Amino acid sequence: MLPYDFDYYLPKTVEEGVRLFQQLEREGKIPVYYSGGTEIITLGRLNLVETNAVIDIKAIGECKEFTIKDQQLIVGSALSLTAVEEKNVFPLLSKAASGVADHTARNKITVGGNICGQIFYREAVLPFLLTDSHVVIAGKNGLRQTPIHQLFKRNLKLQKGEFLVQLHTDRRFLRMPYVCVKRRQQWDTGYPLITVAVLKKEDETRIAISGLCPFPFRAFEMEKSIQQVGPLGDRIQEALRHVPQPVLDDVEGSSGYRVFVLEQMLQDLLRELEGNHP
Amino acid sequence: MGLIGKSVFRKEAWEKVTGTARYTADYPATDSLHAKIVVSPYAHAVIKSIHIAKAKEVFGVRAVITGEHFPLTGEEIRDRPVLAKNKVRHHGEAVALVVADTPQQAKRAAELIEVEYEQLPVVHSPTEALKPNAPLVHEQLGSYKKEDRVYPEPGTNVANRTKIRKGSMERGWNLSEVVVEERFSFSPSDHAAMETRCSTAEIHPDGNVYIMTSSQAPFMVKRLIHDYFGVDIGKIVVETPLVGGAYGGKASIQLELLAFIASIAVGGRKVRILNIREQDMLTSPCHIGLDATVKLGSTRDGKIQAAELLFLFDGGAYSDKGADLNRAAAVDCTGPYDIDHVWCDSLCVYTNHPYAAPFRGFSHSELLFTVERTMDVLADKLGMDRLQLRYINAIRPGDTTPTQVKLNKSNVGNLPECIVRLKKMIDWDMGMIQDLGNDKLRVKGVSCIWKTSTIESDAGSGVTLSFNPDGSINLISGVIEIGTGTKTILAQILAERLKMDIRMVHVQMKVNTQSTPEHWKTVASRGTFMAGRAVLAAAEDLIEQLKSIASCVLRVQAADLEVGYGKVFLRDEPETHLDIKDVAYGYVYPNGNGIGGQIIGRGHYNLRRLTYLDKETGAGKPGPEWSVGAQAVEIEYDKKHLTYRIVRAFSAVDIGTVLNEKAARGQVMGAMSMGLAFGGRETFVFDEWGRVLNPQLRTYRPLRYGEHPEYHVEFVVTPQLDAAYGARGAGEHGLMGMPAALGNALSLAAGVKLNELPLIPEQIWKMKQKEGHSHASL
Repeated sequence: MLPYDFDYYLPKTVEEGVRLFQQLEREGKIPVYYSGGTEIITLGRLNLVETNAVIDIKAIGECKEFTIKDQQLIVGSALSLTAVEEKNVFPLLSKAASGVADHTARNKITVGGNICGQIFYREAVLPFLLTDSHVVIAGKNGLRQTPIHQLFKRNLKLQKGEFLVQLHTDRRFLRMPYVCVKRRQQWDTGYPLITVAVLKKEDETRIAISGLCPFPFRAFEMEKSIQQVGPLGDRIQEALRHVPQPVLDDVEGSSGYRVFVLEQMLQDLLRELEGNHP
Repeated sequence: MGLIGKSVFRKEAWEKVTGTARYTADYPATDSLHAKIVVSPYAHAVIKSIHIAKAKEVFGVRAVITGEHFPLTGEEIRDRPVLAKNKVRHHGEAVALVVADTPQQAKRAAELIEVEYEQLPVVHSPTEALKPNAPLVHEQLGSYKKEDRVYPEPGTNVANRTKIRKGSMERGWNLSEVVVEERFSFSPSDHAAMETRCSTAEIHPDGNVYIMTSSQAPFMVKRLIHDYFGVDIGKIVVETPLVGGAYGGKASIQLELLAFIASIAVGGRKVRILNIREQDMLTSPCHIGLDATVKLGSTRDGKIQAAELLFLFDGGAYSDKGADLNRAAAVDCTGPYDIDHVWCDSLCVYTNHPYAAPFRGFSHSELLFTVERTMDVLADKLGMDRLQLRYINAIRPGDTTPTQVKLNKSNVGNLPECIVRLKKMIDWDMGMIQDLGNDKLRVKGVSCIWKTSTIESDAGSGVTLSFNPDGSINLISGVIEIGTGTKTILAQILAERLKMDIRMVHVQMKVNTQSTPEHWKTVASRGTFMAGRAVLAAAEDLIEQLKSIASCVLRVQAADLEVGYGKVFLRDEPETHLDIKDVAYGYVYPNGNGIGGQIIGRGHYNLRRLTYLDKETGAGKPGPEWSVGAQAVEIEYDKKHLTYRIVRAFSAVDIGTVLNEKAARGQVMGAMSMGLAFGGRETFVFDEWGRVLNPQLRTYRPLRYGEHPEYHVEFVVTPQLDAAYGARGAGEHGLMGMPAALGNALSLAAGVKLNELPLIPEQIWKMKQKEGHSHASL
């Protein structure tokens, strides 16, 4: 149960959405963009999300786009995770998305919501980090397109009143070899202990990780270590020296255990992608 | 009619599968106010002040209540204020209550209440609680009112101590050639019933108190509100509709008291409290934790001679049923084995954790985890097959229990047979470990179980039966339908006895303490046993009345009549008969004369010849019968990742006559899944301040679809002579051996002793670290 009331808006265009936000703010409201609403409900009841005006972006055409245009896959931010999984245009994204929450929740959780939400695992962002995708952001000055790496540092650095409209991914990435594995504290439900997504682009091995730290990240430094020549075990040990800090230490697992799990996962994933290297 | 064993579907099945079944919170609340609880964010702290002014200003707020003037409560020891007074003793303890027109207003106001605390040192575990300088959770323990035969130790954190002294330990150890000793520990956890608790209360101008509550014990609600608040017991009416999972958690009386004081505060208006999940886990009572040491001694050929057990139950901040749970564990402390020399101290210890309610199995899955893990350690040390060790020592008729009850063929099931059956089910002779290659092992773990119920020595159950004009019967029993299907079983028992169509038995699901005969509490797998006997007694009463009228009409002796198939008929001449429907409301002769009248059957059953336990030795007869069983799990273990999945889980249980095959299977399987979840994943995680970090289903995770193993259940049938059609209790037993079997399989697979719960992979990793293994050397 939400202890507070809020107004609900359903803009039809990007411009209308942005305008509404500014207008509501001027009126002294606390507007938030709303897509799947799962965090507004589940965190709102704990007063971890407070708002009195929600702007539903699901009626904005651009936010629901899911097509390939000019060699780019366009993923609208308001697509539900199950919609993305079912069409399976981007298998790595389908795989990463399918590990989030449960099916019923994923019918509501959207790509944009998962990436921009407070719950810090944000596993849907991993495929976009691995594929150097671009984000399309709506703001005061209309739409702007930016490489994701410029804007996603632990979370998506949006200005007040901006919202994520689309993600653009070069279609060549869609068929590249990948592995994405989610390990939990126990069995098949729950947050990730660690989720690792690995993409093989020709000779380059790309790695993105969620659950290790209180933010998902593209592991550029670790990739460099993995890229070097030498036995896999040594390269992994070297990579582990570049794990960002802090490593999570919480109810899902201690930091020491997380590093152990990461090491095992890297061994498995890289063996699978690299073939049976020593 | 051949109904015994038949998988009759539940009487409430249609309601449930169509979603029209109503639970407490589903009843309309249009005329009701709503209460929200303010809870403590700390585990142990002095309440310096509570500021309620801002909350009172919120529109719609009718009352704000704090804990000054309410009586202390508690079923064994009156140690618990309805709302915290002076200090809080656990995270989530109720501190204040807000009553408002809507739940939203109440919540808003509750958030505006400011409580100033001064934190106190926290007691984190029962072991810590017993240290000489441990902070006291209850400074005034000696001054509390209490029941007889509860033994708190003032000046310490001991709420109750039960002692078992059987045989001579000196002799036992002298006879023991091999001795093992193991220590165990696990934290409190939760029941995680799907339905969170809900209670409403209202007080009419005539002083009558009406309560509706999701409870296993509405009759106890009535008694306790009378005891605590002095309301005339006859003026209290408690209703309980269907309950959406209880597992013991709804046997404790807690939310009802809050609803009641809330109603008092608003002049008797109806007030509803519906627990949010977090408060259902923290504020209402939880599942008990345990620290234990188990020492077993045996001859070289595997005959156990001595058992020394120390159980330190983590009762949490208040004793509630914790002081009964420790007693029940003492009663069956050895596990299902014949041991001549037994020493056990079983304590309920106060800590600053959420306090404990009963949990399915009533401390047995907990004690059995410790004993059955130790049995495996002993088997290894003896170099003996693990099931063989259990078989040799299995409790049998003629043996005595820890409380020195002599067993016979009726009051104990056939454990040796269960073990033999289990061996076949799990292909035991094929070995415990199978190497699948790729770092994968298939490993089996086993465990035996037993349990008697230790409820009040004269607990009773009543049933009434009334007729409808078509000769169908209304069955009214105080058993709560908590999801076990017991009321359907009662209908089967009745239909079998009266040789009638079960569709002609109508069961009243809702219990109303004013019109439903009392069933003590719907706990301890006692529904079928006690209410089953009451149904049979009521059926006899009905039959006698039918015969009495029919003997007049037919001009025969009542002794020559039989009742069945909807008729009262002459035994030797069945065509001479009356239809029951023509007798049930009295018989009318062709000339208009009437005799007899509405027939109402009544029956009761009370436990008999049970005794209290001797304070010094524990000797006494605590329960009527022991159900037994043997269980196993088969896991697939990954040596590299230290992860595992449960592939198959097995139970061979002796529940006496199986009255409803699928219902019984469902009970055993459902209980097994709970046991695996408790053993494999469920626990509260505490921080250094004693706060629970995971009081949500996001982070506290019972088993979900897709995570279940295959379940295999077989029944061994040793009828219990004094039970209805020979059926033994069956509601809890599937759970009891699962944590131990899982711990045994994993300890074998991982090569480290796993004596803590839950058995998550990180636990295995930690033990490996401790033992100095490095994963690379595997």
